[in-house]
Amino acid sequence: MSEKASTIQVVKPQTIGQRRWKKFKTIKRGYYSLLFLSVLYALSFLLPVLVNNKALIVKYNDEYYFPAFKSLLASVPLVDNVVSTFQSGESIGQKGNSGDCHYRELMVQYQNEQGGNFIIMPIYPFNPIEDITTEGNLAFAEPLTSPDNIHTRILGTDENGRDVFARMSYGFQVSITFALLLVFVEYLIGIPIGGLLGYKGGWVDLILQRFIEMWSTLPVLFLIIIVVSFVQPNFLLLVLLLSLTAWIPITIYIRAEFLREKSKDYVVAAISIGVPTWKIMFKHILPNSLVPIVTNFPFAIVAGLTALVSLDFLGFGLPPPTPSWGQMLSTGLQNITKWWLVFSPMFALFTTLIMIVFIGEAIREAFDPKTFSRLR
Amino acid sequence: MFQYFLRRLLLAIPTFFGCTIIVFFVVNLAPGGPYEQQVQALKSGSGFGVGAESSAASNNGSATIPPTALAELKRYYGFDKPVYIRYMIWLGIWPRETDSYNVTLGTPRNVGEGKFVVVNQQNGKYSVIDESSKQSVSDIWYVENAVLDTLGTKQLRVFRTELSGILTGNFGNSYEYREPVIDLITARIPISLQFGVIGLVLSYVICIYLGIKKALHHGSTFDIVSSSIVLISYSIPGWALGLLLLVLLGGGSFFDVFPLGGLQSSDYSSYTLIEKILDRSYHFVLPVISSTISSFAGITLMMKNSLLDNLSQDYIRTAFAKGMREERIIWLHAMKNSIIPIASNIGHIIGIAFIGSFFIETTFNIEGIGKLSYYAILSRDYTVVFAFTVIGVIVNLLGNMLSDIILALVDPRIRFR
Repeated sequence: MSEKASTIQVVKPQTIGQRRWKKFKTIKRGYYSLLFLSVLYALSFLLPVLVNNKALIVKYNDEYYFPAFKSLLASVPLVDNVVSTFQSGESIGQKGNSGDCHYRELMVQYQNEQGGNFIIMPIYPFNPIEDITTEGNLAFAEPLTSPDNIHTRILGTDENGRDVFARMSYGFQVSITFALLLVFVEYLIGIPIGGLLGYKGGWVDLILQRFIEMWSTLPVLFLIIIVVSFVQPNFLLLVLLLSLTAWIPITIYIRAEFLREKSKDYVVAAISIGVPTWKIMFKHILPNSLVPIVTNFPFAIVAGLTALVSLDFLGFGLPPPTPSWGQMLSTGLQNITKWWLVFSPMFALFTTLIMIVFIGEAIREAFDPKTFSRLR
Repeated sequence: MFQYFLRRLLLAIPTFFGCTIIVFFVVNLAPGGPYEQQVQALKSGSGFGVGAESSAASNNGSATIPPTALAELKRYYGFDKPVYIRYMIWLGIWPRETDSYNVTLGTPRNVGEGKFVVVNQQNGKYSVIDESSKQSVSDIWYVENAVLDTLGTKQLRVFRTELSGILTGNFGNSYEYREPVIDLITARIPISLQFGVIGLVLSYVICIYLGIKKALHHGSTFDIVSSSIVLISYSIPGWALGLLLLVLLGGGSFFDVFPLGGLQSSDYSSYTLIEKILDRSYHFVLPVISSTISSFAGITLMMKNSLLDNLSQDYIRTAFAKGMREERIIWLHAMKNSIIPIASNIGHIIGIAFIGSFFIETTFNIEGIGKLSYYAILSRDYTVVFAFTVIGVIVNLLGNMLSDIILALVDPRIRFR
């Protein structure tokens, strides 16, 4: 008897979430894309200690300095105004340089001096915004052809002598963060409105639908360009501007879901025992309407990324010198003979977008499987 | 059905006004408009366009513009009126000032077309009299004694008004090109439409063929490979692909196969008709590829899924059971129903083809309406921007309606209410 009970416990029924996750894992290209991108995005927060022109560790006269970790700390929002990354050259033995220290140069100097001082640089010792004014930076250096530097620039430099690889990698973090934030704001606006439309129906639905119809006809790109041409855009402003109309698709999905769900028995039961409306909407119906939210998510990210890159390409995106793929592409268009300026950001953009689309396709397959039976 | 479209048409009216009001107010309240630009240009002494060397001159020159001139400039651009009046003038439901002439009391003033008017003042009231016929023309010519500056300098002027705006088909003149906006746009429509329509036709032909083939061989290697390609094409923005193609094939670094941009070779006008067509197509290859790539995935997958959906329906099963030939079932029975979602999508895509893409046109340097609208925003050419807003809204609304009409035509089951 007890044996039987234990065997029953072993065959635990899977929740729908577990089944979907299992199905998702079987779709290899989506699953590995998700793993790869997540790891890459997590790593991108460590960029200041991986790709930076500031040293990881400086040992000078028996004292240790950690400039790269300071800039890691400074990359956190809100803390960035408190932490100063400035380290004057003279304070650690770079003569005649009262400005910010040139660590790559100092490293050579230390090696020549043969003293006890040493510097450990990050793996890729270039910064995305250091330009020709910095030591050892040349405009339009071709990839892998700069032996005069301690480290070669694997993807060359742009017209201002800024390192393409460094800009590309920082651009990844900027782009993904931007897209995630945009989709978050989109959902924050879209889900409640869609829920309201679907749940309330009637006049609320009719009037708000007309409003949405009108709002979706707005030429957003026009408006963004006009606004950006007189207000210096920043990260948050761009997110808000783009989410002006980006919330509409998710609203339409959620409305349809709520319309369908509200007539189901569990909702009627909840109403009959007097559960408040907002609770029915967000605690009862919403968890049952997650499919469009999740399946739409990767495609919303793709749309957000594309929008940011397009705006940057036209020059109405993030303010310079923020590393961004769109800005790199437009530099490439202006210097069309310098192939690495186009290929590098293009490669980054295409691979990222394709991987997200793969993820999206796999999620859609896992959440909303379509089986076609065909008679032969 | 008729009622449905009538209602759609009526609902389009508030949408139109809502949209234009938002755009009009945002654009008008934005600093750096044509009036400010003109003042800046006058200050720097260069007349038009602010030169780089003029920054020094602007400091000492700023005082030299008399306030009266500023006021007149403001009036010329219509910025002396509040923004809601300007909106109504732009619509054409508020009188728009046309000719304005400064006058002095009692002196005849040439007001064009060989006519002279005299302004007289009686009991504080002004009257305008035609010089030759001595008849009062006060109902045509209005008089205003406007205060121009803080010192109280007044300038008497006569002006005529008319009701003309977008509702009467008057889009105004471009500040930048000093030409009617309508002329600017109609000159560029053929160019954008040409490659828009070519792209539209090409993408539909290819996508429908591909979609059918993928549906019939669902799960085969061909299906999987083409799905990957289609997904990749979906994730690439058209202009970015265009840029890549330009670098690869435009003769910059690698192959010199296609031109770097533009629409025609420099000696285009001396070509024969066939040469012209060939030359145009040669220039169109890259832009057309880039502009169609983004709609590729959508149409192909839609075609495939809808055909697959239909193939698993009962009526297809019945047809098979009756022993009909497979080709007949697929092409006659299933296709008829599968084409419905594709057909109804045409309306939206036509809208896109008409408006053009300023990304593609900027990348390939094509003088179409997309590029015109882009540069209009850059140079704050308000009249052009508004014209594009109006056209965009109308095309969008018409495209949606066209989709519905096509849907109603191809699908007899549809009943609009």
